[in-house]
Amino acid sequence: MEFKLEAHRIVSISLGKIYNSRVQRGGIKLHKNLLVSLVLRSARQVYLSDPCPGLYLAGPAGSPAVPPPPPSPQQQQQQQPGEPAAGPPAGWGEPPPPPPAARAAWPEPEPQPQPQPERPAAPVTGAGDAPRGGEVEAAEAAWRRVEGAREAAEGGAAGPAGGSDGFPEGPRGARRQCGCPPGAEDRPGAPGACPRLACCAPRPAEDEPPAPPAVGPRKRGAAGVGGGPAGGPASGSSPLKKPRRNSEEQPGGAAAAAAEEEEMETGNVANLISIFGSSFSGLLRKSPGGGREEAEGEESGPEAAEPGQICCDKPVLRDINPWSTAIVAF
Amino acid sequence: MAGAGGGGCPAGGNDLQWCFSQVKGAVDEDVAEADIISTVEFNYSGDLLATGDKGGRVVIFQREQENKSRPHSRGEYNVYSTFQSHEPEFDYLKSLEIEEKINKIRWLPQQNAAHFLLSTNDKTIKLWKISERDKRAEGYNLKDEDGRLRDPFRITALRVPILKPMDLMVEASPRRIFANAHTYHINSISVNSDHETYLSADDLRINLWHLEITDRSFNIVDIKPVNMEELTEVITAAEFHPHQCNVFVYSSSKGTIRLCDMRSSALCDRHAKFFEEPEDPSSRSFFSEIISSISDVKFSHSGRYMMTRDYLSVKVWDLNMESRPVETHQVHEYLRSKLCSLYENDCIFDKFECCWSGSDSAIMTGSYNNFFRMFDRTTRRDVTLEASRENSKPRASLKPRKVCTGGKRKKDEISVDSLDFNKKILHTAWHPAENIIAVAATNNLYIFQDKVN
Repeated sequence: MEFKLEAHRIVSISLGKIYNSRVQRGGIKLHKNLLVSLVLRSARQVYLSDPCPGLYLAGPAGSPAVPPPPPSPQQQQQQQPGEPAAGPPAGWGEPPPPPPAARAAWPEPEPQPQPQPERPAAPVTGAGDAPRGGEVEAAEAAWRRVEGAREAAEGGAAGPAGGSDGFPEGPRGARRQCGCPPGAEDRPGAPGACPRLACCAPRPAEDEPPAPPAVGPRKRGAAGVGGGPAGGPASGSSPLKKPRRNSEEQPGGAAAAAAEEEEMETGNVANLISIFGSSFSGLLRKSPGGGREEAEGEESGPEAAEPGQICCDKPVLRDINPWSTAIVAF
Repeated sequence: MAGAGGGGCPAGGNDLQWCFSQVKGAVDEDVAEADIISTVEFNYSGDLLATGDKGGRVVIFQREQENKSRPHSRGEYNVYSTFQSHEPEFDYLKSLEIEEKINKIRWLPQQNAAHFLLSTNDKTIKLWKISERDKRAEGYNLKDEDGRLRDPFRITALRVPILKPMDLMVEASPRRIFANAHTYHINSISVNSDHETYLSADDLRINLWHLEITDRSFNIVDIKPVNMEELTEVITAAEFHPHQCNVFVYSSSKGTIRLCDMRSSALCDRHAKFFEEPEDPSSRSFFSEIISSISDVKFSHSGRYMMTRDYLSVKVWDLNMESRPVETHQVHEYLRSKLCSLYENDCIFDKFECCWSGSDSAIMTGSYNNFFRMFDRTTRRDVTLEASRENSKPRASLKPRKVCTGGKRKKDEISVDSLDFNKKILHTAWHPAENIIAVAATNNLYIFQDKVN
């Protein structure tokens, strides 16, 4: 469990670094930010490998009509009043951890990005709803306990950039089945897979429970990007891409209304985590069709770069919104 | 005693008795950021020592000639020239400030009376000529001694100007400016053994330049992925082989080194050799990737070995063996348990450099608390020394320091928690022939010599 706490802390710190790097003199340092994003990813994976089944929200909003798995509605009651029935946090793109029975269909997503398996995860989820049994309920119970704590702490916890309440719905939503792939080289810290039971045990309210339940991202996710499909195909043009990339599309838009700082709600931070954590690309958000733009941007070099752009002459998002800009500023 | 460890003289870090020689720089506790030294480099003969700082300035020290009348000043380095190499710039198109910090200085081999060096900041490399002027022409016909033009009609006689000695003046003038070739931050430059070309490396690309040509360069390595989202590693350092002008290496943030041969193709994206040590899975942590990132790579003078520095260790590689290094030296293993704190305070991103002794028998690198470490490859002994004003009595021997890693702290030991992580020695240089070392401690430059020296 300490691993999770440490992971949480590390994620917060990493986000802070990424955020601060934008204002450092000399431009953004690619090397340092790459390293930070790797740490972020590791920490996130540890955090997400919480062996509490059911502590997720269903797949990417892009997955059409995935019925929210049974736990979701209950979770929703707890956390997101007014949450759209879609349940799954739009930004998250992390398909819910399949129940144990379906685990076989979930080949080791952690160690290497394997987009393929993740895509079917959504349908798997649906399929997997049934097998879920008592353990799920136990997990849900644990979940609710923690939720309660979180909501209590919600307050004004709209975190500072990379603030401690960096762990909102997002990671929870995206959390996978514990010990998911038992062989999973769950990289950092966690030696081997945590025993599921241990993890399902009451998760101590994290020292800095993420503040608002991620109503934000989900709502926005659903609303902001025009739903998954828009984001999905964009990055999904290459079917091998991780669905998580979808999440990059969505949160970008999802975060439309959020101001960068004060209102960096945990939901956005969660999106940020998913963006950054999934790959370094998360730091270099591209607009849909970004591959082409990338090439163009590259050729035209500085001329194409828009103000405030990074030194990597990455074409900036055309659909400027503060949050996206913040992310894209990488 | 001749140079480094030849003949019967003991060579290497530990058999030598290092003594304080000089310290350059302000004594103030309050360090101006611009004064922080960012690079140190001896020239090929060791007579000149150049430092670059965050303010974009280059200061060159010259070694005093032996002088019987002032025996104590033999071998002392004194300021020879100071000039502003780079200024802060602003890239308007990207709304980016370009720091003036000098990232690297590399000397060119001397070919005439003047000295040439390359200095680079994040984006622009400059070739500087440092020349002496110790004579002045006097007796011009068309102008007065103070330079005023004479009225030609008043000139009734002609004279031949004569050269008269004057106080030595050292001039630095920029001879070439190599700009606009790097999209990312330049981290290395390296002069080729052909003395005509040099390479410059940024995070994703390496360019080959001709010293005479500034308006174009050849891109020889490009690791930028088509889709930046797939970026997983960056180039962290690059160097030409000391003798083979077609060979260079570059290190990556993943802890790998690639050796490339420019004869094989114009774009050396495919390496000729790939050096990587398999990771020890038992030591995996959140920060494994960061600490495996290589911060410096240096060929040995012989050209047979190369040395890499990652966060916790220095490794010596035999160019003929790619599977693992032939030597691994722990610099400050006691920091392994502190990686999280070091991550928080950004120290884990510090880029330490390393250097070989002239004979390749010893290697040196920096650490925290103004400590630096020397490893003698022959005797397999290592020593930790400190660069501090307290130990700065002339010719005072340096006492080995020890960090206590736990348990009872012995007298004279310093505990890990007492280390000052703001005092870091990132840049060190070893004289190419003698046992003289230059150690940059924030804004001060320490010069130590072997006692026998």
